[in-house]
Amino acid sequence: MSGAADREAVFPTRQSLGIMKAKLKGAETGHNLLKRKSEALTKRFREITHRIDEAKRKMGRVMQIASLSLAEVTYAVGGNIGYQIQESAKSARFRIRAKQENVSGVLLPAFEAYQTEGNNDFAMTGLGKGGQQVQRCRETYARAVEALVELASLQTAFVILDEVIKVVNRRVNAIEHVIIPRTENTIKYINSELDELDREEFYRLKKVANKKQRDTAAADVEAKKRKELLEKENETPDADHATGPTDLLAAEDDQDVIF
Amino acid sequence: MEGLLFNVNNGYIEGIVRGYRNGLLTGTNYTNMTQCETIDDLKLQLGPAYGDFLSTLPPNPSTSSLASKTTDKLVSEFRYVRANAVGSLAKFMDYVTYGYMIDNVALLITGTLHERDTRELLDRCHPLGWFETMPVLCVATNIEELYNSVLIETPLAPYFKGSLSHQDLDELNIEIVRNTLYKNYLEDFYEFVNSHPDMAGTPTAEVMSELLEFEADRRAINITLNSFGTELSKADRKKLYPSFGLLYPEGTLMLSRADDFEGVRLAVEGVSDYKSFFEAAGLGGGPGGPGNMAGGSGSESRSLEDMFYQKEMEIAKSAFTRQFTFAIVYAWVKLREQEIRNITWIAECIAQNQKERIGNYISVF
Repeated sequence: MSGAADREAVFPTRQSLGIMKAKLKGAETGHNLLKRKSEALTKRFREITHRIDEAKRKMGRVMQIASLSLAEVTYAVGGNIGYQIQESAKSARFRIRAKQENVSGVLLPAFEAYQTEGNNDFAMTGLGKGGQQVQRCRETYARAVEALVELASLQTAFVILDEVIKVVNRRVNAIEHVIIPRTENTIKYINSELDELDREEFYRLKKVANKKQRDTAAADVEAKKRKELLEKENETPDADHATGPTDLLAAEDDQDVIF
Repeated sequence: MEGLLFNVNNGYIEGIVRGYRNGLLTGTNYTNMTQCETIDDLKLQLGPAYGDFLSTLPPNPSTSSLASKTTDKLVSEFRYVRANAVGSLAKFMDYVTYGYMIDNVALLITGTLHERDTRELLDRCHPLGWFETMPVLCVATNIEELYNSVLIETPLAPYFKGSLSHQDLDELNIEIVRNTLYKNYLEDFYEFVNSHPDMAGTPTAEVMSELLEFEADRRAINITLNSFGTELSKADRKKLYPSFGLLYPEGTLMLSRADDFEGVRLAVEGVSDYKSFFEAAGLGGGPGGPGNMAGGSGSESRSLEDMFYQKEMEIAKSAFTRQFTFAIVYAWVKLREQEIRNITWIAECIAQNQKERIGNYISVF
């Protein structure tokens, strides 16, 4: 057998043949399902890649505007206000909510940004001069962070999907190239073993039949001989039928000898 | 009459400051700077004016280090002038530094309020507002100690006294504290130039009054505009307006009642300069209010703040047409600050490759 090494260690019996056939069927169904899952994931993956590309470009633009607005603040306030801003910020205005999205059985985290209303910690910064630039800069950066959050959620999904697609593809390949051939091999092996057994059995039966025939033939010949002999013996007493001592044998003559 | 004896004490200073004024960048310099492709080119263009200060910078320096080096030059020149000043000019120059001192003290108060190590804040303080005993303020760990140290150690005590107690530092927003101090400072400065025997009735009083009045009006208008939409009440807002200036008292009263941009515009109607500013900004800024720096919409429409800066620079420039006055020192510092802002802005535009807004600097020479 060619694939002798690549088969499962089973006894070639009809029962295990049945098991193997069921296994093959299961493997094929599983293969189909996984393949479809992998395709769905890949489709999603491509879509996400596309959106990441867009989001990155958008981020570039938004960040550029944002950093220019920071430059405006520096210009208008005429100094570094970073420290004041850091210190006057007490609670986060820009928050993130995490939720899950289900794509063919894969849970993808999605981040949703929202701004808490009425939380304006440094509304008074730059009251004397540059206050409006500070506020506008804050708005621009809020938009920039929004873009970042979107990008982050996409990137996370990207990484997770990548991982999952790899796993699924590995499974598909394993089923396609290892499990199915191996099961098929096993089935073939069991079949061939069973055939072999069949042939052996047939041969044995033939032998037995032959032997029996021979035996019968020999017995026939024997019987014939004996019959002929008997007939010869019978013919002699028949000639002198009246003789008494022959009566006993004559009675026996009524029965046929059956072999 | 003032010309007779002015040069005895102050002639040298005046000469020096006029020399410095000639060192300010001109329109041609700015045009050259806007043509630069990299920060290094810009550095080269700044070579004649700032060479010795910029030489220590690494290639392609950040805009903030550029700004700090150019500030260094201003500070060292200011210190030189201050060291040579005597009598009332010295006092006058001290007054100029008080404004920066207020910023520094506000910074330290912020740090103390949030229980930060205020020592590291000393580096962030504006060097012009540095006073010898400032590190002492860092010893204070709570706001009451800090309040007492400020009263004892700094010349700002009169600005605190009477209007702010140490509880106020805890409760009030730091910006209100800062603006209260600044209001007191401006009023005191105004009082000083108009009542000191060496200055009252001289060109100094005349020019400085104009400068300070403009500053007061600008702050009043800015505070009003910036307070829309915040929790600053009208009564509190009113307390932050300096009690002099072209708008005082009718204009400031109307400002204190203003609810929106339109209200501010009505309040300043009486002063033709401001009126024209508001008309220009109202047209350019649209209904969203007076967009300062014209939020990305291009360089041709100038924002209110831009026009204020422009006006301030023009007043400062015209201060140099007068002789025998201390005001040129103040004007020179202001011009120099604007120059630093311009350089930072241009450097920022070059660094970020945003050439379309690079013309937003203000040049008066």
